[in-house]
Amino acid sequence: MNPAVLPLLLAVPLLAAGLLLIVRHRVVQRVLLLAVPAATLVTAVLLVLEHRTVPVIAHQVGAFAPGVAIPFVSDTLSALMLAVTSLATLVTLWFLTATGEDRYRFVPPLALMLHGGVNGAFLTGDLFNLFVMVEVMLLPSYALIAVTGTWRRLGIGRTFVVVNLLTSATLLTGVGLVYAVAGSVNLAVLADAASGDRALTLAGAVVLLALAVKGAVVPVHGWLPQTYPATSAGIMALFSALHTKVALYAIYRVYTTLYEGPAPWALVLVVLVAVTIAVGAWSTFGEHIIRRALAWQMVAGVGHILVGVALSTTASLAAGLFYMLHHIVTMGGLLLLAGAIEQVYGSGRYERLSGLIHRDRAVAILTAFGLLSLVGIPASSGFFGKVALIGAAAGAARWEGWLLLTTVLVAAVVSLVAMQRLWAGVFWGQPMEDYRPDSPETGRAGLTRLTDDVVVPLRLWAPGATLIGTQLAMFFGAGVLMPLVTRAAQGLTDTAPYVEAVLGR
Amino acid sequence: MIIPVSIAVLVTGGVYLLLQRSMVRIIFGLALLSHAANLTLMLAGVSAWRGEPLPDRVDTAAAADPLPHAFVLTAIVIAFAVTVLMLALAVIGHNDDTKRMPPTGEERAT
Repeated sequence: MNPAVLPLLLAVPLLAAGLLLIVRHRVVQRVLLLAVPAATLVTAVLLVLEHRTVPVIAHQVGAFAPGVAIPFVSDTLSALMLAVTSLATLVTLWFLTATGEDRYRFVPPLALMLHGGVNGAFLTGDLFNLFVMVEVMLLPSYALIAVTGTWRRLGIGRTFVVVNLLTSATLLTGVGLVYAVAGSVNLAVLADAASGDRALTLAGAVVLLALAVKGAVVPVHGWLPQTYPATSAGIMALFSALHTKVALYAIYRVYTTLYEGPAPWALVLVVLVAVTIAVGAWSTFGEHIIRRALAWQMVAGVGHILVGVALSTTASLAAGLFYMLHHIVTMGGLLLLAGAIEQVYGSGRYERLSGLIHRDRAVAILTAFGLLSLVGIPASSGFFGKVALIGAAAGAARWEGWLLLTTVLVAAVVSLVAMQRLWAGVFWGQPMEDYRPDSPETGRAGLTRLTDDVVVPLRLWAPGATLIGTQLAMFFGAGVLMPLVTRAAQGLTDTAPYVEAVLGR
Repeated sequence: MIIPVSIAVLVTGGVYLLLQRSMVRIIFGLALLSHAANLTLMLAGVSAWRGEPLPDRVDTAAAADPLPHAFVLTAIVIAFAVTVLMLALAVIGHNDDTKRMPPTGEERAT
C-alpha cells in the first residue's frame, strides 16, 4: 500500500468534521459520521494484511529528509489498534444515532475530530506530534463530555479539562527534556537511546508519567471514575475505547522504544501495575451504578494491559496487547448495553433495576457474556487474554512475574463476585414495577407504572450486541489474532525494521 | 540561569493557584504552568542567548535551534484554545465560588 495513505487517516476525518460544521443536513451528517470510521476500519484491515509481508511502512510528510520530516509510521501494532478502535468508534457512533444524541448541534463534527486525533496518535512516529495528536483528540472531548448533558456534566467537564491540561503541560515538559538530552524527538532516532544514558532515562520517565495520568494508572487514576460515568453512556463508551487506550498504546510504544528491556525504574512500574489491578477490582464493590462499576473495571483493565510493559518480554507484551484489544471491545459492548438499559428505564442503579431478565432476555444474556469476559471465564476473549497474561508472568520466572500473576488471579476472583453482584442486581430478582421513562421535555419523567410493552428495543441493544459478538469471535478466532499480536510485540522489542523504514538506514 | 529560575517561579505560582477553589484562579495557575512548560521547551534548544535561526543572516553556528521554537508556537496555540474553553466553563452554569454546590436542576430527579 502507498505510504502516502497514512496522513489521510488523519486528514480525512478532520476535513469531514469541518464539512459537517457547514453542511447540517441530517442524512449527510449521519452518512459521513458512520462512513468515515468505516473507511478507517477498511484501511486498517488492509494495513494489517499488508504488514504480513512488509513489517513497517513510513511516510515523510512533505517529502522532507528523514529525521527532519514529520513521519507517519504504520506497523502491525498501529494497524491493529487502528482496526479495533475504529470498529469501536463505528459501533459507538451507531449507538449515538440510535439514542438521537447525534442530533445535538456539534456532536458529529466533534466525534469525527476525536476519531482523526486518535488515528493520528496511532500513526505518528514523533513524540511532539504525539502530544499534538493527543491534544487534537482531547479538544473535542472537552466539548463532548458536556454537550449531550446537563449542567452537572459541565461541572464534571471542569475536572476533566483541568486534569488533562495539567497532564499535557507535564507531557510537553517531558518532550522538551527528551529533546534537550537526545537532540531529537523522532522515535526512530530515539530507539534504544536511553540504555546507559541516565538523563534520557529520566526525561523518558517524565513523558511516561504524563501518559500514565492519561491512561489512569493508580495513584493518578482518580479522574476517570469521577468523570466518565457522569457523561452519557455513548460518550463514555467512545472515551473508554479511545482516550485511555491511546495513552496505553503510547506507553507501549515509548517505553519499548526508549529502553532496551526493562527501564532502570521498572520496579516502580511493577508495583504500580499490581496496585492498579487490585484497586480497580476491589473498588468495583463500592458502586451501585452499572457504569460506575464498569469505570472501576476500566482501571483494573489498565493494570492488566500494563502487565505487558511491566515485565517487558516479547510474550508479556503480546499478552498485554491482546488484553488491550479484548478490553476495548468488551468494555465498549458492556457500556453500550448499560446505556441501552439507562435510556429505557431511566436509571443505572442496582436498586432501581431488578428482574430485567423477564423482559430483556437478550440484553441479560449479552451482558452476562460481557461480564464473564471481563473476569476471564470462557467462552470469551478475556479468557485468552488472562491465560496469555498468566503464561507470560509465569514465564518471566522472576518475583515480579509471581507478584503480578497472584494479583491477576486474586483480582479475577474479586471481579467475579463484584460482576455477579452487578448482574444479579440488575437482571435477577422481582420484576420491576415502575420506572422513569425518557421524556423529550424534562429529560426524565417521574415514576411511571411499568407496562409489559416497555422493553429495550433492538435498535438500542444491537450496537452493544455487535461488540459482545466481536469479543466472542475473538475467543474463537484467537488462533488468528495471537500470531498478529505476537508479531506486533516483536516489532516493539526489535526496533531495527522500524528505524530502517523511517530513517532509511 | 535566569530561565530555570523563571521556570521555578512560574511552577511555584502555578501550583499555588491550582490548589485554590476558584475556577478562574485554577485557570491562571494552569496558564502559568503551561508557560513554564513552554520555557522548558525553549531551553531545550537554546542553552545561551543566540541569534535568530535565519541561515542567510546569522551564521548557523551562532543561530538558535529553530525546532523548539516551532514546538513552543504549537504548544502556545493549544494552551490558548484550552484556556479560552476553560474560561467559558468557569462562567457557564456555575458561580465561581464553589464553597456552595451550585443548583444543578437534578436534585428533584433523584
